[in-house]
Amino acid sequence: MNGKLTRREVLSLAAGAAVLAGCGTKERRPVVPARVAILRAPAYDQSVYDTMRRLLRGQVGDVRGRHIVLKPNLVEFEPLSSINTNPLLVHAAYEAFREMGAATVRIAEGPGHRRNTLDLADAAGYFKIIPGFEDIFVDLNVDEVTRVRPARQFSRMKKLYLPNTALGADLLVSMAKMKTHHWVGATLSMKNLFGVVPGGIYGWPKNVLHWAGIPECIADLHMAFPRQFAIVDGIVGMEGNGPIQGVPKHAGVLVAGRDPVAVDATCCRIMRIDPLKIGYLQLVSGSSYARLAERSIEQTGEPIATVATAFELIPEFQRVRLEA
Amino acid sequence: MSIGIVVSKQNADGGWPYVRGTSWTEPTVYAVLALLAAGEMEPAKRGLNWLLAGQLADGGWSPHAGVDESTWVTALVALLPPEHLGAAFHAQAIAWLMASKGRESSALYRIREWLLGNAAPPDQEFAGWPWIPGAAAWVGPTSLTILALDKEQRRKPTAAMGARIEEGRRFLLTRMCGQGGWNHGSVRVYGHDSDPYPETTGMALAALRGVRAPQLDRALPVARHFLAVCRSADALNWLRLGLLAHGQLQPGFRPSAPVAYRTLPDTALNLLVAEAQNGNPVFLGV
Repeated sequence: MNGKLTRREVLSLAAGAAVLAGCGTKERRPVVPARVAILRAPAYDQSVYDTMRRLLRGQVGDVRGRHIVLKPNLVEFEPLSSINTNPLLVHAAYEAFREMGAATVRIAEGPGHRRNTLDLADAAGYFKIIPGFEDIFVDLNVDEVTRVRPARQFSRMKKLYLPNTALGADLLVSMAKMKTHHWVGATLSMKNLFGVVPGGIYGWPKNVLHWAGIPECIADLHMAFPRQFAIVDGIVGMEGNGPIQGVPKHAGVLVAGRDPVAVDATCCRIMRIDPLKIGYLQLVSGSSYARLAERSIEQTGEPIATVATAFELIPEFQRVRLEA
Repeated sequence: MSIGIVVSKQNADGGWPYVRGTSWTEPTVYAVLALLAAGEMEPAKRGLNWLLAGQLADGGWSPHAGVDESTWVTALVALLPPEHLGAAFHAQAIAWLMASKGRESSALYRIREWLLGNAAPPDQEFAGWPWIPGAAAWVGPTSLTILALDKEQRRKPTAAMGARIEEGRRFLLTRMCGQGGWNHGSVRVYGHDSDPYPETTGMALAALRGVRAPQLDRALPVARHFLAVCRSADALNWLRLGLLAHGQLQPGFRPSAPVAYRTLPDTALNLLVAEAQNGNPVFLGV
């Protein structure tokens, strides 16, 4: 043997090494925990501006020069109810992103039941709280659209038009309300993306999503927007027959992070709901549900146990209650 | 408020945006109707040309040039007078609407439910119209389609169209909220009554013009209450139209507080309702 390798041997060795390397990578791949912050926020007052600043500085990363779209949950004409994301919180996020050097910050929403979006925003207090609101707001129900195909599709939707304002954002910030939901158990940052689906095309309600499967469509929308940040308004959420007819529930927290799946799983635990029993969370986390496990989520701020408070569930959803 | 505002917001392509940006079918139809009522023929003609260019192969219209499917906005196009839209285009719009109904009323769906042993809920007895093909029927598109078909029925009545209008109106009556008035079309969820909305209450009442039904005794007071307290331009437009259709709008009615007309449909529809209050049938028909 002369010690030289033939071309065939080199190729065989390379292939074997690649296989071993691949196997090794798969076996040794570290689970990178998603970071989720829980901060106490007892009331909608001026202190939320500082709380939001701390929340974003610790979680969101460098947004200098970036185009940010804040997507609140704006549903009904009732400023004193716990249906909508509180406008003070949206303004706090708007100010914080601007201070952090974002190139643009816009607020965008496409309500699912009411067609007169700007009137709804006015009645819900957005015009009063957010200076120049009309100039920075985009009604996603009638925004320009692009036909898209999500990176991975869970529903039977044959095609999906989505608004260019949301698709073009460097960071789409889902600013959801912490609420129970009478069709899917809990509505949080992922379900909040139903509001990006344009009513001008799909109607009020966006009923094609119901026919295609609500959990599946939530998962589709999650996949369609890879650059997201999630903030959940749990200062006063909603329990019982949410998302509209439930009753206010004070939880006194803001929950945020770059991974909406981890944020929503954390919110569920705060609400004493089992995230492993929520259909859309099951879909996006795969068969092992590893992404939903507490050990897969790096919790900062308050521990879940110190802020958890059981949200009342309607009888049809008692089955999702997190067991002690 | 003058028609000049509508003219000033026309896009270079002849259509209108909701607030700003590219042209959409809904604001363009309302703008053209308002311009026709005001005798502003040149901008109206450019708007009509934009609409005609947007008709799809199936005879319907999409909401926006970037969408390749006919939807509920076809009902709005069918509200345009055939002498301005063109008789053939108008007939195709009416035919598209006559062929459309909510998915829950399709034979395939009903057979499937029957095979599964599911009894049809009472609110699915009558066929209404969906926002987009393949979805269920709702109050908004059903009301708009009835307005368009009723206008055509007064012009060229047919038995088939009369039957669809009648069925659509029955759909609306079954979807009325318990306290009176309408929301998007969901009356009860898990045994809880849903609340009505001002704008859909006005829409449904307009579509129920000429109907005598005991349910209206509950709906009309709700509409009058909304009219007194509501500040949304869109809602006030539809409430005025709905109450006018039942002879319940006080002559010369004006909102008691300032109203913000924020979108082109808000502005154009306000002008059209004012025309209707003055007896001009351009929107509702004779």
